[in-house]
Amino acid sequence: MNRLKNKPTLRVDTAQTISFTYKKKTFKGLKGDTIASALFANGIRIFSRSLKYHRPRGLYSMDGECSNTSMEVNGIPNVNTEKVLLENGMQLKAQNVKGSPELDIMGFMGSLDRAMPAGFYYRTMHKPARIWPMALKQIRKVAGLGRISPDFRMTGEYDEIYPSADVCVLGGGPAGMAAAAAAAESGLRVILLEARPRLGGFFDYRQSEFSPGVPLHQHARELEAHLQKMPNIRVFKHTSMVGAYSNNLITAFQKGDENDDFEERYLEIRAHSVVVATGCIERPLLFENNERPGVMQIACAHRLTNTYGILPGKRAVFSIAHDLGIEAAVDLFDAGLDIAAVADIRQDAPNESLVAELAQRKIPYLSGWLALSAHGSPFKKVVLTTLQGTFEKKFECDLLVASAGMTPVTGPLSMAQAELSFDHHTGFFLPRSLPAGLFAAGRIMGLNDPQAIEASGRIAGLSAAAASGKTSETALSATRATLAGRPKADRGNNLVMAPVKGRKTFICFDEDTTVKNIKQALSMGFDATELIKRFTAAGTGPGQGGIPGHNLPLLVAQHHTDTGTRTRPTTVRAPLVPTLMATYAGTNHDMSKQTPMHASQKQEGGIMRRIGVWNRARYFSDDLSCRREIENVRTNVGMLDATTLGKFRIYGPDALKALQRVYVGNMSKTPQGKIKYSAMCNEDGCIIDDGVVAQKGENDYYFTTSTARAGTTVEWIRFHTRYEGWDFNMVNLTDAFGVINLAGPRAREVLAAISDADISNEAFPFAAYREFTVNGSIPVRVMRLGFVGELSYELHVPSSWMETLWEALAEAGKPFGIANFGLEAQNVLRMEKGHLIIGSESEQRTTLHDVGLGGLWDRNKKGTDTVGVVALEQTEQQDKRLKLAGFKMKNTDKPPKDGSIVVDDRIRGHVCIARYSHVLQEVVGMALVEDPLNEIGHELHIYEDECQGQLVSATVVPMPFYDPKGERLRS
Amino acid sequence: MTDMKRRSPVVFPFEIKKTEPWEHWTVVTEYKSEREDLWIVDLSHRPRWDIQNNALSDLKPLDFAIPDTPGQCRLEKGVLINRMNRTQASFWQLTGERFEMPDDAAFTDTTDGTLFLAMVGREVPLVAEKLSALDFLDPTTTSPRLFQGPFAHVPCQMVLVDKSDDKPGILLTCSRGYAKDMVAAIMQAGREFTLKPAGQTAFNRWVESLT
Amino acid sequence: MALTLTCPVCGKRNGYEFRYGGEDKGPKPDGFGLTPDAWCEYVHMNRCVAGIQKEWWCHKDGCGVWFTTHRDTLKNLEVEASS
Repeated sequence: MNRLKNKPTLRVDTAQTISFTYKKKTFKGLKGDTIASALFANGIRIFSRSLKYHRPRGLYSMDGECSNTSMEVNGIPNVNTEKVLLENGMQLKAQNVKGSPELDIMGFMGSLDRAMPAGFYYRTMHKPARIWPMALKQIRKVAGLGRISPDFRMTGEYDEIYPSADVCVLGGGPAGMAAAAAAAESGLRVILLEARPRLGGFFDYRQSEFSPGVPLHQHARELEAHLQKMPNIRVFKHTSMVGAYSNNLITAFQKGDENDDFEERYLEIRAHSVVVATGCIERPLLFENNERPGVMQIACAHRLTNTYGILPGKRAVFSIAHDLGIEAAVDLFDAGLDIAAVADIRQDAPNESLVAELAQRKIPYLSGWLALSAHGSPFKKVVLTTLQGTFEKKFECDLLVASAGMTPVTGPLSMAQAELSFDHHTGFFLPRSLPAGLFAAGRIMGLNDPQAIEASGRIAGLSAAAASGKTSETALSATRATLAGRPKADRGNNLVMAPVKGRKTFICFDEDTTVKNIKQALSMGFDATELIKRFTAAGTGPGQGGIPGHNLPLLVAQHHTDTGTRTRPTTVRAPLVPTLMATYAGTNHDMSKQTPMHASQKQEGGIMRRIGVWNRARYFSDDLSCRREIENVRTNVGMLDATTLGKFRIYGPDALKALQRVYVGNMSKTPQGKIKYSAMCNEDGCIIDDGVVAQKGENDYYFTTSTARAGTTVEWIRFHTRYEGWDFNMVNLTDAFGVINLAGPRAREVLAAISDADISNEAFPFAAYREFTVNGSIPVRVMRLGFVGELSYELHVPSSWMETLWEALAEAGKPFGIANFGLEAQNVLRMEKGHLIIGSESEQRTTLHDVGLGGLWDRNKKGTDTVGVVALEQTEQQDKRLKLAGFKMKNTDKPPKDGSIVVDDRIRGHVCIARYSHVLQEVVGMALVEDPLNEIGHELHIYEDECQGQLVSATVVPMPFYDPKGERLRS
Repeated sequence: MTDMKRRSPVVFPFEIKKTEPWEHWTVVTEYKSEREDLWIVDLSHRPRWDIQNNALSDLKPLDFAIPDTPGQCRLEKGVLINRMNRTQASFWQLTGERFEMPDDAAFTDTTDGTLFLAMVGREVPLVAEKLSALDFLDPTTTSPRLFQGPFAHVPCQMVLVDKSDDKPGILLTCSRGYAKDMVAAIMQAGREFTLKPAGQTAFNRWVESLT
Repeated sequence: MALTLTCPVCGKRNGYEFRYGGEDKGPKPDGFGLTPDAWCEYVHMNRCVAGIQKEWWCHKDGCGVWFTTHRDTLKNLEVEASS
């Protein structure tokens, strides 16, 4: 097809061609084309078939207000080809067709419309109920447009940025550009977002004058050049705003061009003020077959010609309601389009000089007329009628430019909490009130005069700057004066519909909803626009309501004989434009933590698991029962990386007071050189943490917490002392020290090999705390604790030294059979000792008493207002609480699963942990069971999933199961 | 006998040119094909202290003054002191020989608890805006300035130096355990601008240019 | 999250950087002598003001400070105490 050349408005480069494939053929387009414009240039008129009726659909709006031109591009379905720039090698496929868009076998569906009234799927196909699954299967096959395979994998980068700005301007048309420039003049940081790949808005493609000798398109480019010179303005093109939230948070998605690293990216902008200058879309004219390929909106025809150099047809009829329509007719006639007639709904108010231009070109102008019906596929005839339907005229043509006027793009305004109300003069929903920091400008306010639009943009920009403290009263009043001298907002239209019954008058193209369907819904009693929208599905398709737009509420308002002042556009929600799931996912930074031994543990066969934010070694072999690891700890010596434990320094004159506040024990009794084991409870007396405290000096303590509590301990202590004004300080040392748990009867021998310190049992007994150096340089803090029930040393070493220390121990331990052990092995070892892990042997409602640790609470501690003690006192004598019990299974075959419930006539508790113990040759475990079932000797009956009623039983026995006197850990 | 080495949690996947032993660390002084325009350096070996005291402003560690207001920083003789809140400051020794930490309860050696790195170059704010909503480019803030907030979803302490300059820098610390994922996130964000690591020599040169 | 909160140390920040610490109920009453119901009432029951309430927040992703501020629960916006 021949493209128009030498137009100053062209945004395509006739010298650069791009190839793409469609229907197994290679086509050519130009650099700057969108996929849709390139297809149109190659003679494609039918792009797809509609959802329900498989009606042929073509280019209508040019901005993706409907899914008419959605196609599969490079394997990605539902791409709106009007909004995507053509790239070399693109592969296109039509959607929702059996055959081709031109010859879709499913086209017969269109004649079945009587069988598919509004909401038919809610009311049929389920009587009798058994046919519903069959109907569902068939509906699923035909509902939806694109297809995707579950194996499809997205490629490309999907990035995100969080830029800050003082002023965020939505819309890069004349008003938006003027606002951005005005705000930036005072030095503020401005971000401008424009959905199209280019700035310029509705100036970009028009040849009429801004000022004498300066056509609109040229003025727009001058405005853009001015913006580019200002370093404090960041312009994001091809970026659609998707959400506006309180405190002026704006979210947007940007499509990358070929120079960008990303396919698409997410922007989240916190601005001080926001200017909404999103302009207008056209209001679709409603008549029979209003969505036939060959029918398109004014801007679509105008931009095809002036931006892309493609005449949209050979012979056209215009049915319009706005001066832009007349301007376009004149412009397109001059570009070579034959025009049979221009019908204008208005009988007064059109621009006289524009009408005169039509007369000059001998184009018949029909005032008070509009399109009644479009005919032929391919489109070949239109019937025009008067507003009242009194007379008709037929015209042969292959293009019908149809538009009922303008609709402001109010989505961003309503999302930003502006209140909209219907204005009769403009026919627009205008903002009645704007929240602080939000400003509106341009066509969205009903303005049409180019200089008025620009002035209103400047005013919004200056006002937004004033909101950030940069007031310029003189500039503001000067611009206000300019605006006052320009034409005011045009008189617009209310709903414009031809006098039709509406059986094939489509109010929503995406969902194939007709005016007849709306009437059906109304007659069924749906009277609220929101309900009608949902019942008929109008506006719920990928066009996000761009076609029903404000037609829907206005149509409904007519039915109610509403004056229209209380009607509102249907609620808009983010995202305002559809986008890829990959863009939502963005860059996936899964931030997790690793200990200094991570790489080496993996190298030695460690199978890592995520626990909260940490990665830890759970097993060291394929044997998930960890038998070898466990037995090695009991007979020789094992090493476990326990770095994730919380570790803290607390110091200062009131450090002890703070410890007393959160620990139930009496922390003033922490002897020098010994650790004190205690617990923290919440205000319900429920245990939340346990740990050990060592005193390092006067008013200076080092304490540990469980891994899970390491991140919140400082917060917890500060919270529970917030009214006190105490003088104490805390440092979170969790990551500063690695922890090596050296456990087993030969542990002392290993440690002795690398340190000169006296670690005999007399010098360093159980529950002692020592500090010494290893190999002369490595400082370690060492505690003798007994979590796994053997002689063990918990070595706290500065993280940078941990690998060196570990290697030294591994080397020294070789003759003693040293080996790694992981968390599962540790789990079994500590279970054999009846030691609890909070969260495993306790629940949110488990108190200190319930787990038998009531002895940790020092009742004689006075005046410390310790967190939890009130409830500890209140719950101590409560009965029927779930209490911790150790048990031994009657059968040593296989342990019940963790979590299995304990039952008699009802549920009495659950199994916390159960394992086969090789050292005891029994299956033992711990459970939380309702008192008095926890008493020694009671029988527990355990119900496992899928046990088919066969309960297994256990007996409650004393704990610890292994080494009850604790001789081994004290050795 | 084991190699008596202190190890950094940071490993950049780039070829090293020169290293130097320092205080049991192996410090990379230069990478192969370093870039002058934009680089990132591992500073995890540099001594860092936490200082907390009820009368913090009265303390003068090694004769350095502590800034009065939270968010303020002072860079002097290769030492950066950052006021974190009413009672707390951080002391980062960027260059030079290791100072002996004062024998005062107010001081805690936190060198091993955090990852410490610096990114320097004109595109640093563009890298940062991919990973954090913090407004590093706010023209109303002075420089150097302390930011306490999330970076790549992890709470960090960051100091921005000379933002209006040709070579702004961000010095960042966060919990040591996050080192691998934090470096990966930053390197991925910086790939678009060809972010590459540099060694201690380049960093010393930059610090010197600041004073 | 669109909510912003003003940390007394770090300034205005995104709501996600903070943890909610509940309505300000003042220092704990002396628990001993209270019935379990009365204690539970203190610990768990809230006034749930439909309007402006004083609350505790912790800047967990920043400086870690605990502070009080006022929030209009109907609009989910931080407000000045006087309003």
